[in-house]
Amino acid sequence: MSNIWKSAKLDFSLVKPYVKTICFTMVLPVVFAAINRSLLTGISFAMCFIAMTTGYTFSITEKNSMERLYGILPIRKSDMVIGRYIFIIIMGLTALIFSLIAHPVILTILGESISIFDYISAAVTGIFLFALYTVFQLPGYYRFGSIKGRVFMYIPVAGFLITLLLITKSPVGESKLLFTVINFPILLMLLAVIFVIAMYVVSILVSIKILKNKEM
Amino acid sequence: MKLIISNISGIPIYEQIKQQVKSAIMSGDLQADETLPSLRTLAKELKISVLTVTRAYTELEQEGFVKNIQGRGCFVLGQGSELLREQLICKIENNLSEAINAARVANLSEEELHHLLSILMEEKTDE
Amino acid sequence: MNDYLEVRNLSKSFEGFQLHNITFTLPKGYIMGLIGPNGSGKTTTIKLILNMLKRTSGEVKILGFDNIASEQEAKRNLGVVFDSNYFSDEWKISQVEKSVSAFYENWNTQKFSETLKRFHIQPSKKVKELSKGMQMKLMLACAFSYDAKLLILDEPTSGLDPVSRDELLHILSEYIEDGEHSVLFSTHITGDLERAADYITYISYGELFFSGGKDEFIDSFRIVKGGCEELSTDLGKKMLGIRNFSTGFEALIKTEDLKQFAHLNVEPATIDDIVVFTSKRGEQYE
Repeated sequence: MSNIWKSAKLDFSLVKPYVKTICFTMVLPVVFAAINRSLLTGISFAMCFIAMTTGYTFSITEKNSMERLYGILPIRKSDMVIGRYIFIIIMGLTALIFSLIAHPVILTILGESISIFDYISAAVTGIFLFALYTVFQLPGYYRFGSIKGRVFMYIPVAGFLITLLLITKSPVGESKLLFTVINFPILLMLLAVIFVIAMYVVSILVSIKILKNKEM
Repeated sequence: MKLIISNISGIPIYEQIKQQVKSAIMSGDLQADETLPSLRTLAKELKISVLTVTRAYTELEQEGFVKNIQGRGCFVLGQGSELLREQLICKIENNLSEAINAARVANLSEEELHHLLSILMEEKTDE
Repeated sequence: MNDYLEVRNLSKSFEGFQLHNITFTLPKGYIMGLIGPNGSGKTTTIKLILNMLKRTSGEVKILGFDNIASEQEAKRNLGVVFDSNYFSDEWKISQVEKSVSAFYENWNTQKFSETLKRFHIQPSKKVKELSKGMQMKLMLACAFSYDAKLLILDEPTSGLDPVSRDELLHILSEYIEDGEHSVLFSTHITGDLERAADYITYISYGELFFSGGKDEFIDSFRIVKGGCEELSTDLGKKMLGIRNFSTGFEALIKTEDLKQFAHLNVEPATIDDIVVFTSKRGEQYE
């Protein structure tokens, strides 16, 4: 367990010089939340943006040929992978928590009211979206590297646009969705959480397999 | 103890070490029960390989000039110069026998052989 | 634990290149030079030892630990220096220590700062502000701070001036002085190894040409020189490589074949000579 944590800290030390840049990207979603007067929109944007930064650890590693350091350190490949996932998840959760505080504040200032339900559903949606983006991104980065795997950086964008499409373009679907959500909110949220965990487990296993077979 | 290694002499380094240690013993620069420099320290200082020094010390031990005691060092043997002298006399005898045999084959007379010896000794003193 | 590195029948196939049955052993307390022309497989061998490449077959043990089954334990005692640094350019030296020391239980902070002082590396600098020689010393400083028993260096001196190269050799001889550390030094600048190496492993175009004592290696070859007319068919058969000039030739032969050619000019061969002559593929004499 401890090696996993060390690996996550190592990844953090790679990204440290860019923390300010990443923080700035969290400002724009606040603006979007304000424009759309919707917490859900704001959170969705925020998760999309933060998911686009997951490639940093990979690109910085590549730029400095640091895979050799990873090859030297006394740590199992599986620990390296899990550590990186933990780091990315912490990054996502941090962005989420920040947004869950900042966005409602702005919205309340603008006169919008936010129910507990709005809050929780935005949180769960945020977690789910972030998970959805990253479970595809990370194996992609492991397999193709951060340059060829550039396309994986845009998965969150594609995913986000699709989400937007689904939410806005089908009012019928929207009401059906809302109906299910209003009637079985706890069930849905539970399902979402289980699904998120399952997705990450599979994604981690795939990434470990890829890394074990990788020629450095 | 003075030890000078030449890169260009063509003589293997371990051989150079042996020769210089032996002459130091002969001339009294190295006394009985004195220790030779530590194997690894010598290798480090002269920037030569540990195995090379090991070989020199091992062969010196085999030839009876030093005794290697694990953990204590390489000691010059008390009978050093005696042993050295004995060994060298043996070597001289062998070489002389060879020379005599060769002289016989070449039909060199005893006088001519003596003469050759004188010339060579003169040359060696000039060196 | 007497053999710090055991490599047995290590093989790896790439497209267009094959590393085939490399076997050698490095006992504790010695320096082994890993030599061969560029592209012959030295870096591949090192990466296979580090399990950065998947081997096709063979076995590698580091201080007795299998390099795949016990990868973590094997690497705890291993220090590696590459020809360029593997830290983040943006890291300050203090961050390098923070990041690396976390993985080694026996990291000695005092040793690290003393070593930095000795190497004249200012702890306040960022990795990218260090010269190439300093970066190499930084990697060494890390390895020394957790008392790595086996040090592997992959072309550490390429790009360094002779002063730095000399410094490195001095540092390495000190490192093995207590007899409890070993060094595997891969280089194509064989002059560095002429005196200091105890063992030589020579890999030529993916094949193991020789592995054993350096003195033995150098001693089993000679350079013979002569005029063009002295180039006999016999010599052509026995020689391992040749340089032809308008005024004569230089050829490498095995010492055991020396007797028949004693009439020619005979010289000892340097490691460089041996590698260069045996690497001249397809060079025929007329």
